[in-house]
Amino acid sequence: MILAKLALGFCGTVAVAGAYTFHEGVMRVDEDHYDGRHVHVWVPAAIVPMALHVVPSRRFERALEHAGPWLPTLRELTKQLKRYPEADFVEVQDGRQHVHIRTHQGKLLIDVTEPGETVHVACPLVMLEDIARELEAKSPAA
Amino acid sequence: MNVPAVRLTEKMALTLAASLLAAAALLAPVAAAQASPASGSGQTVSASSHDRWLHVRVTNPGNNEETVRVNVPLELAEKVLPTINKNRLHSGKVRFDDVDCHGVDLHALVDAVRTSKDGEFVTVQSKDADVRVAKQNGYLFVHVFEKNRPKHSQVEVKVPMKVVDALFSGGKDELDIVAALHALSAQGDTELVSVKDEENTVRVWVDSKNVTD
Repeated sequence: MILAKLALGFCGTVAVAGAYTFHEGVMRVDEDHYDGRHVHVWVPAAIVPMALHVVPSRRFERALEHAGPWLPTLRELTKQLKRYPEADFVEVQDGRQHVHIRTHQGKLLIDVTEPGETVHVACPLVMLEDIARELEAKSPAA
Repeated sequence: MNVPAVRLTEKMALTLAASLLAAAALLAPVAAAQASPASGSGQTVSASSHDRWLHVRVTNPGNNEETVRVNVPLELAEKVLPTINKNRLHSGKVRFDDVDCHGVDLHALVDAVRTSKDGEFVTVQSKDADVRVAKQNGYLFVHVFEKNRPKHSQVEVKVPMKVVDALFSGGKDELDIVAALHALSAQGDTELVSVKDEENTVRVWVDSKNVTD
């Protein structure tokens, strides 16, 4: 009976933890190259800002030097994009090359297609805003 | 089965059901987001009926495979532009100097146009091109018609005077882009720029839809 209780507690915890982990959706990056290389990354969106929070600031110093001035822009942009959860922003078609930037169901979707190579990025806007806020907090100017 | 065992089983079932319900409730939006198909262009709906969108469309009449479509909510641009401080763009304003204007006092020029009555200010007719600059019904019109090309090219610009005023409402040597966008968002549906030449057709306009077609 104790074992059953333990198992139940474990299952409940896993279910709740899983629900929390995925409640903000998943960040996806899919790259397919003509030479057969494929990169597929699926990361729970809730984990990324959390991971940034625990990584030491010195690891970000160089990146923040370059990105620092653009962080307020990124934060404001993601904040504003959340107001437009279903919208096409940019679409460029040039022969067989195609670039499409849009929002769909609260995610920023970037699709790039060209002969021999495709890249698809899907990023929850909530996550982008959290990242921008986290990086701003870590930047030396903060 | 004795009574305590039955109660315990009931408790376990209840706890399991509650856990599953909580997980399902939290995961449902995520699952829906993952399962829904990607939207194609032209299938999206407006975020809000009062939002104003700036559209840019570049098409090549001779080649359907070359198109550019840009849709930007004016409010988004108004909020994001002031956060960019790079080169000549600061706080939503662009600085320029005398060299850019070749010594022309743009503020005085705009002031003169604003206070003058409706009419044509510039009319040039030559064998190469016709140029017309006019003010009419609160709009500033610029019309250029080039003749010496295989296929004639035509540029038409129509800007509300309120937008021009807002653009020059900043300091002496700056253009207030954010103020101009704000003034533009208060206007009705407006076609701002139309360019047609032998290769491309360019259209820039403002309306309340978030799709180009």
